[in-house]
Amino acid sequence: MAVTASDTRAAVRSAAMAAPSLSTSAVEALMLGLATGPICLASCGPVVLPWMLVQPQGVRSHARQLSIFLSGRLAGYLVFATVVWLAGIALAGAGNARFWIMGGVQVLLAVGLLIYAAAWPHARCGFVRSKNNLVQIGTTSSAPPQSRPTGAIALGFLTGINLCPPFLVAGVRAAQLPTLAAALLFFAVFFVGTAVWFMPFLSLGVVRRTPSFMTVARMAAVLLACWYGFTGGSLLIEKAIYG
Amino acid sequence: MASRVLPRPPAFRSVGRSVLLTLPMALWALLMFTPSFRQPGRNSHIGALLVILFMTALFFLMMRTGKTYRWRRYFFVALGLLFPVGFIASLVAVRGTMSIPIERMVSGDTPFCYMVIPMLILPAAVTRTIIFPGSILPTASNPHSIAIMIGLWLALTLVVGKAWCSYICFFGGIEEGFAALPKRMKIRKLDPRLRLVPWAILLFVVVLSAALFEPVYCMWLCPFKTVTEYPAVHSVQTAIQMGIFITLFGGLVVVLPYLTRKRTQCAFFCPFGAFQSLFNKINLFEIRFDREKCVDCTLCQTACPTMALSAESIREGKTLLNCMKCGACVDSCKKSAAVWHLKGTKVALKPERARLLFLYGAWAMATMFGGSILANSISTIIGFLPLR
Repeated sequence: MAVTASDTRAAVRSAAMAAPSLSTSAVEALMLGLATGPICLASCGPVVLPWMLVQPQGVRSHARQLSIFLSGRLAGYLVFATVVWLAGIALAGAGNARFWIMGGVQVLLAVGLLIYAAAWPHARCGFVRSKNNLVQIGTTSSAPPQSRPTGAIALGFLTGINLCPPFLVAGVRAAQLPTLAAALLFFAVFFVGTAVWFMPFLSLGVVRRTPSFMTVARMAAVLLACWYGFTGGSLLIEKAIYG
Repeated sequence: MASRVLPRPPAFRSVGRSVLLTLPMALWALLMFTPSFRQPGRNSHIGALLVILFMTALFFLMMRTGKTYRWRRYFFVALGLLFPVGFIASLVAVRGTMSIPIERMVSGDTPFCYMVIPMLILPAAVTRTIIFPGSILPTASNPHSIAIMIGLWLALTLVVGKAWCSYICFFGGIEEGFAALPKRMKIRKLDPRLRLVPWAILLFVVVLSAALFEPVYCMWLCPFKTVTEYPAVHSVQTAIQMGIFITLFGGLVVVLPYLTRKRTQCAFFCPFGAFQSLFNKINLFEIRFDREKCVDCTLCQTACPTMALSAESIREGKTLLNCMKCGACVDSCKKSAAVWHLKGTKVALKPERARLLFLYGAWAMATMFGGSILANSISTIIGFLPLR
């Protein structure tokens, strides 16, 4: 008799430890998130920091942007939770798929950072770019701030599906849970645990913004984009050549 | 026909006064190099003696002529050129190669370089981990330990601030040498935005080093790996790294300084220089402009090797944050509007006193740190000479 994918999944789950209760797995997810948060912070920090630095001064605007970013990240988490639950632990654990995803995500992050560094200051949050004068990025405009959260959501989503080590641990655990709802809950609570570590970014809101400061943040974003492009690209090339 | 002889400009100070002012530095140099004379071997004695004479003579000339940049440059270029000689010779003597084998990294035998300091802060603060393959305390195989180098850096920085980059950094002298070669600038227009690049690189390397748990600048971006030590090339990645080091060295340390007469690596690339600029905020010494004398001729702006002056900053009577107090602007100013200044005092009130106070500290540090490097390199070179 042919073995179907659902049989394999059932076998994996039955082989796993006895299914924990919802509250136990929630506590476990929270602890995992809190414990591994610094690693999440380290892997998402290079994306979040330049992004936050070019936001207008003020804790409130930073809180708004961070919320949008984290929403995108949560969406990424939930998508990943769904995929690993449906595919079993294979996706989280298997080397090849993981490297393809990591490479692809890093290239997309590079593109996202480049787009944001190049196009972000055109019209946003009271800043209007003056042409051919990068140092003088913005002259303050009296026009009301334009809300365009797509950049933050996209970057948040991409960091959300970036397969960092704690994320993989959570993925393996979620794949062993009996229902999709439990896997989603696990990742949602895991997200809360890691998100606590992002709160210090709000303090960047009190740093005084100058045109030079904003230019530095944009240059750093370009450098980070080059880095992600290089690492992601080389990962993809390596996988394409050597398998 | 009687030839017209231009009158020689009067010396800034009399010989007697200059000697008197030089005496403390001469004694300091003697004190610093006394241990070298206790060591066996003629080479180290010759090296120490030459450095004592060299450093004392340059300080005397600073006192006598009132010029700072011109004489400092001789020391600084010598330091930049001779440091690799001594360093590479010691590497070859110890390991037989300039490259660092992976096993030496694992055993913590990599000599610590101050360029790493900004990248250490975040991982050390969050995880109490030093992300450098060196040893905290000195060992027999690695005397350049992390604790010693950080302590030395901190002490010197508190004394000289960003002047570290013009009196102590053994890398800056190489490009200053190349910048001094041409008589005229080949490239005159430089985008002022370039000044911000070191800050962006600093942000980049600090964040990424915390994320990757490795000193990213040293692994990927340091141009001076070309003339010091580098990871052994054994894979595509290490070959790419080596390619980056050589390209950056050729571009930023050799070609661009020659074309622009600026220290392009220091001004437009070095993240440690940007980090060191922050200490200008707490350092007591600075360069200021006497607005009553300044005629906005921009000679100082042209002379500045790191573009640390802008029209706006001169109008405000200040330098930018990245001023490394080399004294080029003061030397070039024909109206004596650019002056050395001690914070908390009135601008242009006894600027020579401020200069003296600064130079005593900076030259003492230069003699101690750079002088010992020079002495070591000179004795190494003498060791290679076919002398009896």
